[in-house]
Amino acid sequence: MALAQLEKIESYLGKLRARLRGVGSEEVKDIIEELRSHILEKSTVNGQLGARDVDATIAGLGNPEDLASEYMTDAALARAEVSHSPIQILASLFRWASLSVAGFFVLIGSLVGYFLGAAFILPAVLKPVHPQSAGLWSSNDSSGDLKLSLRLGFGNAPASGHDVLGWWIVPIGQVVGFGLVMLTTRFAIWCVRLYRKSRRRREHNHLIRTETT
Amino acid sequence: MNVTARDQEGNDKWEVQLRKGCLELAILAALWDGRLYGLEILRRLESDSDLVISEGTVYPLLSRLKSLGFLESEWVESDGGHPRKYYCLTPAGKRRAQEMVGIWSKFSSSMGRLLRPLTKGK
Repeated sequence: MALAQLEKIESYLGKLRARLRGVGSEEVKDIIEELRSHILEKSTVNGQLGARDVDATIAGLGNPEDLASEYMTDAALARAEVSHSPIQILASLFRWASLSVAGFFVLIGSLVGYFLGAAFILPAVLKPVHPQSAGLWSSNDSSGDLKLSLRLGFGNAPASGHDVLGWWIVPIGQVVGFGLVMLTTRFAIWCVRLYRKSRRRREHNHLIRTETT
Repeated sequence: MNVTARDQEGNDKWEVQLRKGCLELAILAALWDGRLYGLEILRRLESDSDLVISEGTVYPLLSRLKSLGFLESEWVESDGGHPRKYYCLTPAGKRRAQEMVGIWSKFSSSMGRLLRPLTKGK
């Protein structure tokens, strides 16, 4: 009987441990040990581990997915919500992405946005350093189709290419690039807020259920 | 859903939000007199303040308060055979608790003034 209960507890903690990806191993060990101690103490009545008590205690902790996300994302996403630093936002999104599909897509979208922003900003910044070859270039590829490329100016300019914007790349690249970075940051913060709001709603419903049982 | 049921649900939501908003202060206050472990904190909240909060909310919050530097923890062996993780306030945690108590007192006395007419005759 007690063995079956211990197996149930270990199975729950195993699922939780598997979902605490991205958390340091010492911290994971600490969390698991603390919850094991909690379940054992709360479920032991007169020295006996009761089946119903184990079930109730595990139910009080909630399902492993929600509990893991509670441990992992709250602090990181709260930081992202008030931050305007792309690095801080990306760090938080990586953590969120390790937990949910929604987080993964927001991370991919944000990476694309920041990458495009950098692709415009860098040629604008490097144009004064490499005036002959940095900028937005058009050229014909081997099949004769027109190809546009943003070049940082390292190496030679394309032989049959044409510098489309010339020095205009400096203001245009910066406006478009920083605009993309800003929009991506706003998009990421908006997604994080939406996600945290829905989590608070779920948590709230969980609290109401816990209080009525 | 009829109007009465909707009103009841609205009251429940408001009460839960109110309790949740107090949870951080309640945990810091529970630890004011000395160290406690998770289950003791839950029982203290339940007995002293009627704050019945699920374990799934309290443990991650303790972890967050610790990562913010308001709490520190240590493992202590127990008679039951399993170690317990005790939490206590750091100096930053004590300052935070006092700041929150100041805000709470100000808020509660101004709300008290506002609510006085509603409680007269009760």
